[in-house]
Amino acid sequence: MSTNIYIVDDDESVCRSLKILLMTFGFEVKTFNSAQSFFENENVDLPGCLLLDIHMPGMDGWQAQKKNIDSGSKHPVIFISAEKKENALQRALNAGAVGYLQKPIHGQDLVSLINSTLKK
Amino acid sequence: MKNNKTVHKQKKIKKQRIKDFTRSSLEKKISRQSAELKNKKGQLKEGADREKSAEEQIYIQTKAMEFTLDAIFIIDAIKPDFPIIYVNPSFLRITGYSKKDVLGKGYFLLNGFDVNLSNPEEIKKNLLQGKSFHGEILKYKRNGEKYWTLLRIAPVRDNEGVITHYVGIKTDTTLMKQRESEINLQREELLHVTRVGKLAEFVSSLAHEISQPLAAILSYAEAIQRLFKGREPQLQEIIQNIINDDVRASEVIQRLRELLKKNKPAFKLLNINDLIKDTTALMLAHVISKNKIINFELDSKLPVILGDRVQLQQVLLNLISNSLEAMGERPESRDLLIKSFLMNTKTIMVQVKDSGCGIPPENIKKLFSHFFTSKPDGLGMGLSISRSIVEAHGGHLEAENNVDCGSTFSFSLPVAIKENI
Repeated sequence: MSTNIYIVDDDESVCRSLKILLMTFGFEVKTFNSAQSFFENENVDLPGCLLLDIHMPGMDGWQAQKKNIDSGSKHPVIFISAEKKENALQRALNAGAVGYLQKPIHGQDLVSLINSTLKK
Repeated sequence: MKNNKTVHKQKKIKKQRIKDFTRSSLEKKISRQSAELKNKKGQLKEGADREKSAEEQIYIQTKAMEFTLDAIFIIDAIKPDFPIIYVNPSFLRITGYSKKDVLGKGYFLLNGFDVNLSNPEEIKKNLLQGKSFHGEILKYKRNGEKYWTLLRIAPVRDNEGVITHYVGIKTDTTLMKQRESEINLQREELLHVTRVGKLAEFVSSLAHEISQPLAAILSYAEAIQRLFKGREPQLQEIIQNIINDDVRASEVIQRLRELLKKNKPAFKLLNINDLIKDTTALMLAHVISKNKIINFELDSKLPVILGDRVQLQQVLLNLISNSLEAMGERPESRDLLIKSFLMNTKTIMVQVKDSGCGIPPENIKKLFSHFFTSKPDGLGMGLSISRSIVEAHGGHLEAENNVDCGSTFSFSLPVAIKENI
């Protein structure tokens, strides 16, 4: 059974392109344009990895991660953001995520991180 | 004998009469003369008094001219070369010349070398036509130092109306000018910072918008690369080039964003009322020229805040200039009110309340978003930058329409806490 990846990013192109790329690696990918629509979806309970954009209107990535943890979800989270922040990785780890990748993301980097996370 | 006696007696009487007459007329004369004398004496005394008071008056006027802080000079208008015949000590002090340098010298000759611009010609024209002159001009002291002076020259006429002299007064306005230009400079600097800030914000949001499709392009290209793995070497090469260029473009954008982030705010302890006063001082000339009035209701007992002076000035400047624009040319909206007060022990509130046209309800929500503007030449950055500045200070910026007319922009700022100082 293929691994599920959930992508939450307000930019449609980013969602679509990452989905196609990850599919070439054999992942099952679902995309959401807002954190709200992700939490409202009932088919996200399957094990898998959550890719969270940070800058989103409404609920941002940090808030979404808090809600994700509060809901007792077991999805490991990888933050993705176009902005380079000095302590972003540390902040991401502190927020309970497994990593932080800056856009543009190389597919290989992302997949390596996903695989190492899911192996644990 | 009897006759003789009578004649003698008569003679005696006559003599006496003459004597009497002479006496009385003499007395009369004397008393008249003494009265005359008295009168003359009175006249003399009066004249002397009059003379004395005229002398006193001249004395006081001369002294006043010598002690006044304005420079005074008098030109002889009868002589063809208009020589200067009097200068007071302030004239010498302000111009740096000595009496010897100026007395007897033609006014226009003297002016010829110490005035720039076209003023001398204008002054000359006015004086030759018997008119007065009024103007603020830049002049040079004897040592070459520049000074600004407000010069007024008026003709002095005799009883027949003939111009005999010109009297000139100069007020040194250098200090006022300096203050004015300092204010202008500060305003220019602030506007520059505001423009740079706007540009930075603009580029930053532009960079964000561009980096998203660049990220997408990379993912698409990598997907194709994988789909054609081991096949189509020419295609692979092209795709690799797309990837390389995409990464290069992303790096440029990233560098740009980092460059913009270097303008880190400098937080210091500030008194918000001082900041309000300083900022409005920069706008004052503009406010007056628009025929508006700024009123203040500042709580003088406010605690200090921790903030970036220039950034907060930018916010105030932005709010005030927006308010002025909202009030436009309408004479019925003149008043702008700036308030500061303590909302609670931890928060200071600043309000800018105008009596302008108010904000259309449909625009209130969009006011603070990037690129939203109701002005034909606006960028739509001012309020969004102002909000992000206030938020970076830990406060909030909000807008609402007033009950009567106009709108109020309010921002809160946290009171400086000891641990952060």
